[in-house]
Amino acid sequence: MSAIESQITGPKAPGESNRSDDAATAVTTTTPDWRRHFGLREAGVYYALILLMIVLWVVTYSLGRPNYFSATNLTNILYQASLIGLMGVAMTVVLITGNFDLSVASVAALGAAITVGLAGELGFWPAAAVALAACTCVGVLNGTIVQVVGINAFIVTLGTLTAIRGLVLILTDGRSLLVGSPDARAQMVAFEGGRVPVQTSLIVLGIVLLLAFAYVAFRRRTAGQPVPLFAIGGTIGALFILAIAFLGGPDLSVAKPVIYTAIYALLIWFVLSFTTVGRRVYAVGGNAEAARLSGINVARYKMAGFMLSSATAGFAGILFGSRLGAVNPTALQGAELTVIATAILGGTSLFGGAGSVIKTLVGALLLFTLTNGFNILNLGANYQGVIEGTVVVAAAAIYTVGGSRKAKKGA
Amino acid sequence: MHAMPADAAAAPLLSLYQIDKTFPNGTVALRGVDFQAYAGRVHGLLGANGAGKSTLIKVLAGSIPASGGRLVWKGKEAAFSAPVEANRAGIATIHQHIPLVRTLSVLENVFLGSTGRWRRNRADRDRFAELCEEVGYAVDPDAMVGDLSIGTRQMVCVFQALQLGADLIVMDEPTASLAQGERELVYKTVQRLAKQGKGIVFVSHFLDEVVLLTDELTVLRDGRTVMHAETAEVQESDIAEAIAGKTVGTLEHLRKDRGTVREKVVLECRDLASPGKLAPTNLTLRAGEVIGIAGLMGSGRSELLHAVYGSDRQATGDVLFGGRKMPRNPATSVRAGMALVAEDRNLQGIVPVFEIWRNMTLPHLDDTAAGGLLTRRRVELERAQEGIRKLSIKADSPHVMVTELSGGNAQKVTVAKWLFGDVTLMLLDEPTAGIDVGAKADILALVRRLASEGMAVIFVSSEFEELLAVSDRILVMRDGAVVAERAAAETDDQQLILLSGGTG
Repeated sequence: MSAIESQITGPKAPGESNRSDDAATAVTTTTPDWRRHFGLREAGVYYALILLMIVLWVVTYSLGRPNYFSATNLTNILYQASLIGLMGVAMTVVLITGNFDLSVASVAALGAAITVGLAGELGFWPAAAVALAACTCVGVLNGTIVQVVGINAFIVTLGTLTAIRGLVLILTDGRSLLVGSPDARAQMVAFEGGRVPVQTSLIVLGIVLLLAFAYVAFRRRTAGQPVPLFAIGGTIGALFILAIAFLGGPDLSVAKPVIYTAIYALLIWFVLSFTTVGRRVYAVGGNAEAARLSGINVARYKMAGFMLSSATAGFAGILFGSRLGAVNPTALQGAELTVIATAILGGTSLFGGAGSVIKTLVGALLLFTLTNGFNILNLGANYQGVIEGTVVVAAAAIYTVGGSRKAKKGA
Repeated sequence: MHAMPADAAAAPLLSLYQIDKTFPNGTVALRGVDFQAYAGRVHGLLGANGAGKSTLIKVLAGSIPASGGRLVWKGKEAAFSAPVEANRAGIATIHQHIPLVRTLSVLENVFLGSTGRWRRNRADRDRFAELCEEVGYAVDPDAMVGDLSIGTRQMVCVFQALQLGADLIVMDEPTASLAQGERELVYKTVQRLAKQGKGIVFVSHFLDEVVLLTDELTVLRDGRTVMHAETAEVQESDIAEAIAGKTVGTLEHLRKDRGTVREKVVLECRDLASPGKLAPTNLTLRAGEVIGIAGLMGSGRSELLHAVYGSDRQATGDVLFGGRKMPRNPATSVRAGMALVAEDRNLQGIVPVFEIWRNMTLPHLDDTAAGGLLTRRRVELERAQEGIRKLSIKADSPHVMVTELSGGNAQKVTVAKWLFGDVTLMLLDEPTAGIDVGAKADILALVRRLASEGMAVIFVSSEFEELLAVSDRILVMRDGAVVAERAAAETDDQQLILLSGGTG
């Protein structure tokens, strides 16, 4: 019977009767449960990334290839992962609100097409603004159909995925578009291209974060309270940033989209973690009806999720179009699945109410490190899909099994 | 140590000897519990929330293994490692939260576990007719389970259990969310099944029904058996004492606290209606007043609350709250000072991914945050701690996930989360359903205290005794309309049952 029961109640609305097994494993102390926080389920994506990088380093080293941990190679991975990571951050928010957005890649292509198409006449910035507005409108459309008509988000965005791609074909007339105006092209290059030296900013950021988190930890300690998890994680992150800054040396520089993605992710992370807006986003995804009856405007939050997702996709599209100053109508086709995969790798729940943008970013890095590894080792690109698919499913398996294994063992 | 049953000559269907259960986190749920169930007898199992009833049921249903002790089924030592094994052996458990597939028909649900090849077959249909005959209750086999009332779904579960050929049927609080009429149906079914020789384990919080239905009873407290007796030989007050571990005061003393009604009108409803659910209703509620809503399930009780709260968008008519006409939007209602404790705790009350503290601060989150925007964990934790203390919620800390709490304690969280804002109107929809005597008394006392502090309350309950204890006025609802109004002091159980039962 319990099988049927869990089938019906599902992970979203657990009945008490099938939850009390989990209760058995609950550690109900006031200090954070370190074993859980540093376990595979919570921190697995970090371990996976570190492990993969070590493996690649060892293999390249033993094969006598160039140093894997070179600044060039690592910042390349960051650059390659930036657009997907950007969209992944917004996707995470949509998933947390309990929705789903399959249309991001098409919307990004729309953003790129509008930017490239109009940049010649309007100039780059006005064209980008139009693109961003148009893409946000797609988000409003998605949100309205899902919230007002009540159709499942998967179906709605599957529809817009196809329709918006069609729109891109219409706009481009099925051909590649190029930016003719040199002025606009120059603005695009200034916006997207070039590298930014980051050593100084990384050192400053690292020290500021370190001080901030040390201060929080110190205050909690003196108040006799447990040190919060974000302070520990943040301290590790800050040390990591400082390590990179020192190892990379003064020449360390990253591409601009990496900077944009990092700033955006930090912003969303802050909003989700430390504001009432963020708390409500999680509440809406955790139990929409309970949230509504607690006075939260659920429809508004879900709508905002879609708008954020589409606007972010539009921004990614602007970056994509600016990269080459050109766009072809099939640009980014299929990228929506990679975006969703990064969120899943980061442990975001497809049922809503749980997810972390930082882990999504790490998930994106994991996927692109894998791709990068294939290239560096000259392994056939044919195998790439198989391996990537396996990694995604394995990650999902770890998140699912990792949560319930203890219960089974204990029972 | 235990009183022997009258027909002790017959061997028990099921015997549990010295069952222990310790969870991996160190929680001891059962300590040396002995338990027997005999064919043809109804064995009542009682205890407060967290006393170990659910754990015991899970052990005998095979959902979780015991840490120690023996289980003897029909004279043979057995160990069920999965519910399906217990089912095959002949133990069927009817859970409190009914595990049916809502999108399948009654017939398909009843034969869900059977291994026949075809989705529709004659034999199942005939067998179903037999079952109806056997139980003495007919339900349309082609009705969609999702369309049925909770009471009828409960009956579908009974059919399912019988279809499996169960000899022992374990019913986990089958009447917790049922209205009076539907309860009668469950009672009749239990009696009939016992007469046919089935063994029944009946878990309940309602002492009256345990006294009425059971042949023997076992009371658990803190994982131990504290009472095992022939039902006929014990008094209701003894049972209550055994459950609580102390003499519980009756609800009587609450009545003395009445008389807090003030002049100020908090809520006025003018022709408040909802198509198909609620007939036009007029209502005036003053500060410090508690209105009880009596009525059977589906009589429009919850619908009235949702119409007032603004969570029913189809509603028509006016809601004047503090003299101001309210739009139909729960967010506005909450900001204006309304609170709703909804009927279904799991679906409408708690956010399962949140700890106690995050649930507790959800409705008035802005008040705890700096500038209404930056959350302040310390303030929220303090608030949660206070809520835990105020309602004596059994939890080690505010960090415990709500899903790990027992039903009664989770219910208390859904009430406690409204205690911090500027609430002037509290709408409570069955706040005491399925929770133990102690927790119930806590909630009722809280309602009276809030009223004495000037809060207006609408209190919906299927238990008329509670309504009488807590309300100033009682409105009786039937078929979506208010059919009678009585001052609580001038009415009684009997009258309310008659009024709401639809004889008039």
